[in-house]
Amino acid sequence: METLDRPAVRKLMGEVLAVQGKTLPADDTAKLADIGFRSLDFSELALRVEDEIGDELNFEAAGLRSIETIGDVLDLLVEIQGQ
Amino acid sequence: MIADNLVVDARTGRRATWGELVRHADPRPEPTAHAVEHSVDALPAVAALKDGGELLVVAAGRLDESLAEELRTDGFDLVAGDDVQAATSPRAAEDGRVWLLTSGSTGRPKRVGHTLASLSTVTGELAPRTWLCPYSPGTYAWWQVVTLGLGVPGQELVLVDPADLDDWVTPALEHGVTAVSGTPTFWRRTLMRHGAELRKLALEQVTLGGEPVDQAVLSQLGEAFPDARVSWIYASSEVGASIVVHDGRAGFPTQWLDRDVPGRPRLSVVDGELVITSPHHGTDASGAEMTGAVRTGDAARIEDGRVLVTGRLDRDELNVGGSKVSAGAVRDLLQSHPAIAWAAVRGRKAPLVGTMVVADVVASQDSGVTADDLTRWAAERLPEYAVPRRIKMLAEIPAKETLKSDV
Repeated sequence: METLDRPAVRKLMGEVLAVQGKTLPADDTAKLADIGFRSLDFSELALRVEDEIGDELNFEAAGLRSIETIGDVLDLLVEIQGQ
Repeated sequence: MIADNLVVDARTGRRATWGELVRHADPRPEPTAHAVEHSVDALPAVAALKDGGELLVVAAGRLDESLAEELRTDGFDLVAGDDVQAATSPRAAEDGRVWLLTSGSTGRPKRVGHTLASLSTVTGELAPRTWLCPYSPGTYAWWQVVTLGLGVPGQELVLVDPADLDDWVTPALEHGVTAVSGTPTFWRRTLMRHGAELRKLALEQVTLGGEPVDQAVLSQLGEAFPDARVSWIYASSEVGASIVVHDGRAGFPTQWLDRDVPGRPRLSVVDGELVITSPHHGTDASGAEMTGAVRTGDAARIEDGRVLVTGRLDRDELNVGGSKVSAGAVRDLLQSHPAIAWAAVRGRKAPLVGTMVVADVVASQDSGVTADDLTRWAAERLPEYAVPRRIKMLAEIPAKETLKSDV
């Protein structure tokens, strides 16, 4: 099964925002709330990742965690691929 | 039976009147299920019904082993060409009974009983017409067109097999077709593939049915056939042809709701579902009349004085993070985009919000529209949660043998 590395997931995240006329900051510590990246955007990004890797993501494997920054999103989506 | 009405097989070009067809019929006293490869092959058995008999017509491709076994157990001889498999539980025929197979809630075909009279819902005189019949043999829509040819003076038929529909316009031109009935999926495929050619067809009647009918396809057909009456019909095996609308608009007037008119179906919307009490309904497999109000399972909503039938209830309502979205309403919006020929909308499992709205779309030829363009366009017109976030661009409109969308 193909997996996406962190830069590839970052690129997809940029695409989600670009459709809305927004730009993804280069700084991974940027807060999601500040850039307007919301639940629907996160869900869309997850579907984009699933389409790229041809598999469903298992969010149960993620455990309890706080997702507040760009880096948190990228960490999560890289980590749960293939689980 | 109108013996002089003509029937043409588009595949072979052969022409015959119903009077000639009945002379070639082989009337069978036993209940008979005819499995046919080609639409025209079923017609002699249909013509023979005038002398009685019990008949079920099914496309050969739809008849799997388990259905064949079920029919034989239910007392039907199974006839496919010269091959006859006798019923395993023989019984006497119920003269004049016609059986249709409809998709049951379990996915297994369910038998619904009719007669030629209950299938013939056209009332009053009709102008002479030559109808294209593109439907799969034995379906309700097929019987609707066939009974027109069989029982209404001046109604001729040109039969095209569903497998040959990529090029139905050529035989339609050749045989002088003036009226065509098809599903919205059939018409969208036609408009996409045969746009320029269609102008050569002198259609007087364009009919849609079998699937939700939106304003975009009605308007496109009105433009393609400016001299034709464009009608849509709501019909099913269970309730018959219950709604017929000729004004070129999607939906039907709210004034038609909860009206009692002798001989006409009573239409209601209950909890967002279309409910019909019909004088044209069939019987169940035991022969018992299906009376009373039928919950159709089709979603209906009222908008601008019209009742819009948007799709199957179990697939129409999507829950996106607690917000309710009508998949049919999103589909209708996408199909109103000038560069979109067809769209299907559904829910897809997603984290955080549970379900997201996604779509499959076919763009008009050479439009150059992209999925991102459509998402942005939809975002200007829909609440944020209803915007399709994943849009797959397909090259062709997918369709099943029933001419309905297979998505």
